[in-house]
Amino acid sequence: MASKKTAQKTLRLAPVLDLNEATALHEKLLALKGSAVAIDASAVERIGALCVQVLIAGARNWEEQQLSFTFAKVSDAFVKTTQLIGVDIDPLMAKEI
Amino acid sequence: MDMNEIKEIFFQECEEQLAELESGLLKLNDGDRDPETVNAVFRAVHSIKGGAGAFGLDDLVSFAHVFETTLDCVRSNRLEPNQDVLKVMLKSADVLADLTNAARDGGSVDQARSRQLIKELEALASGELPQATAAEPTFKAAPTPVAAPPVNEEGFQPVAFSFEDFEADEPAVIEAPCYEIVFRPKSELYAKGNDATLLLRDLSRLGEMSIHCDMDGMPPLDRMNPEAAYFSWKISLKTDKGEEAIRSVFEFAEWDCDLDIALAGGCAVDASEELPMQPVPFDLSMLDEAPAGSAEEEEQFASRDRDAAVSAAGTASNVLQMAQSSTRAPAEAQRNTTAAASAAAQQAASAATPTIRVDLDRVDRLINLVGELVINQAMLSQSVIENDTNGTSSINMGLEELQQLTREIQDSVMAIRAQPVKPVFQRMSRIVREIADMTGKSVRLVTEGENTEVDKTVIDKLAEPLTHMIRNAVDHGLETPEKRLAAGKNAEGTVRLTAKHRSGRIVIELADDGAGINREKVRQKAIDNDLIAADANLSDEEVDNLIFHAGFSTADKISDISGRGVGMDVVKRSIQALGGRINISSKPGQGSIFTMSLPLTLAVLDGMVVTVANQTLVVPLTAIVETLQPEAAAIHSFGASQRLISIRNSFCPLVDVGRILNFRATQANPVEGVALLVESEGGGQRALMVDAIQGQRQVVIKSLEANYTHVPGIAAATILGDGRVALILDVDAIVAASRGQTLKPEMSLAAAG
Repeated sequence: MASKKTAQKTLRLAPVLDLNEATALHEKLLALKGSAVAIDASAVERIGALCVQVLIAGARNWEEQQLSFTFAKVSDAFVKTTQLIGVDIDPLMAKEI
Repeated sequence: MDMNEIKEIFFQECEEQLAELESGLLKLNDGDRDPETVNAVFRAVHSIKGGAGAFGLDDLVSFAHVFETTLDCVRSNRLEPNQDVLKVMLKSADVLADLTNAARDGGSVDQARSRQLIKELEALASGELPQATAAEPTFKAAPTPVAAPPVNEEGFQPVAFSFEDFEADEPAVIEAPCYEIVFRPKSELYAKGNDATLLLRDLSRLGEMSIHCDMDGMPPLDRMNPEAAYFSWKISLKTDKGEEAIRSVFEFAEWDCDLDIALAGGCAVDASEELPMQPVPFDLSMLDEAPAGSAEEEEQFASRDRDAAVSAAGTASNVLQMAQSSTRAPAEAQRNTTAAASAAAQQAASAATPTIRVDLDRVDRLINLVGELVINQAMLSQSVIENDTNGTSSINMGLEELQQLTREIQDSVMAIRAQPVKPVFQRMSRIVREIADMTGKSVRLVTEGENTEVDKTVIDKLAEPLTHMIRNAVDHGLETPEKRLAAGKNAEGTVRLTAKHRSGRIVIELADDGAGINREKVRQKAIDNDLIAADANLSDEEVDNLIFHAGFSTADKISDISGRGVGMDVVKRSIQALGGRINISSKPGQGSIFTMSLPLTLAVLDGMVVTVANQTLVVPLTAIVETLQPEAAAIHSFGASQRLISIRNSFCPLVDVGRILNFRATQANPVEGVALLVESEGGGQRALMVDAIQGQRQVVIKSLEANYTHVPGIAAATILGDGRVALILDVDAIVAASRGQTLKPEMSLAAAG
């Protein structure tokens, strides 16, 4: 997870993102405010709607501050869940370089 | 939270729901047709099923599901809740209670019984559908059991069917109807461990689905509550499984979300709407294989295929049933509106008065402490009075206030423990049903005063003796329907159970309108069992009381229900252990009335402190009618040792408490003492003679049985202000003993043992 820019930080998501994890994730995101973030969702096995909410809120926040907020790596489960619940994360996907 | 804790809460709620269920069914049984009553009943079963599903209690879920399906028929007016239907339902409620208990405490239930009931319920749900409304049967006629858990042998018995069968019935499956679903979860949904993703996943399995996630309600990151619900969804779903199937996906969440399901005219699956819809790929297999799913989830994965099979089988069996009875369910639309209306009503009803659950131990600790406080306060004021010669000090004033305060504290603490007798009474109705079934009698239980409050300990200990008595009343008391008709009575017997407050005690009355006690038979039996001499001359009352003797039964043959002779003596002993008394009054041909009088609380008592032969005793204030100073002229001798006192031109037996309790060997001079006129539960007044009255105060009851052993004539003990132990008099025992000059031999024996 080498940073492309010095300011960019990586947030690695836990495998299970359920109700219990939502608050923790929220706090982690708040702690990263002010710098570009790459989300590593490669380990995600299960994600609930609450955590998706937090991530989307985060993405909007970052967007307002014109910082980059990307999903660097995603697991299949992560993609499928977001598709299932109608949340489009394509624009947030890290572009292959 | 710990899973076991949650489970415990679930079972507590189950108890409440079961009570709700039963009282609702009983109301229906009495002719109540209020839709809210039906809804309450339905809701109760539904909640149990929902909770049980979350804990993987399959037996419970499968039974509740069948039950619910039948109730749904009642709710949608497809099934008239007549007596026969309700009989089955009440039985089902009993089985549901058994299953709940079995799930909590382990143990097993009568499988045959529940299977039989499932059959009956299913027959009700399907067999008694109203008149046919249309010729062509459709797929969504009856609730499809999609949401039913797997492993459901009882519920879904193999039904022979072939696909050709409903190929013919339903030729046009190609163009499946399309539903517009608006799903707005509330925060509670997540708080309960459910997740919108799971619901949506299940939904996507029903057919072709497009989804739009509405994120407009989303606050900025730093102001959001990570555990609140912000997303809502608009879904269009093309499915041939019917609205019922869609609803059943949301079934465990239906109170935690806003749900709108509408049949869309044209299907908009291809994202041609104003809202950008995201088509959901059909292949979600990756998700299915996700590890670490909850038990429920895994079940759903495993049962995915089976679900399909089951629903097909269910549909097929419906088709068959429809063919057999050539009847059909009424229009879906009507069903939906009722369902929606009831959902709204359910939400309104769930907002009840706020309560908290507190561990009983904590309350007891508090009560104990308050008891000590009361004793301490009494001690304090006593020592102040003793050391204060002029008696007007400001300390005295303060102490009086303190006394009032402690008293109030005590009253409020006691009120915490007070509970309505309703749950016990409700349990009784089940017992009546079961016994009535076994004996082939038709019985109606009428309860009154269910909201009478009494200490929890009393309630807990009341159930057992009451059960015995109810059994006796139905088994022995009531006659068979034929005999009743022959006697000119209604074939249905009535057992009346009433609770009321009377002078600081709770009085529970159990009356039946049966044949009454057969005194001749009782007497004969007593003679046979050497309880009385063959030539004994007994009053009717005394004969009636014989049934309280150990090993006494008038039943000709021993039945499963009663008649082993362990009934009434046990009842009497348990009632006495509660500081209560039991009485019978019986009229031949008209029935018997058992009256139990119990103290409201087992913790405090208002008493009169008296001196008898240099001993300090406490007489419960509730028993005392008046006190008087006997005059020599008013005392009359009667017989060898009996004395009477004339009070306002009537005679009343004078009882020397000191003599009865063997505090002294000879009778005291009545003129030197004080007479307490007491009223005993058995009726009639007695004048109890004591040496002097010390005062009146509230005492904290300390059990003598628990700390020492039962003493005849003494109900309990207490600690007085000066630290001495005083005995609390059992007025009724004393009165009873006064008839025979000594306390009953059986009681003396008990005291010696």
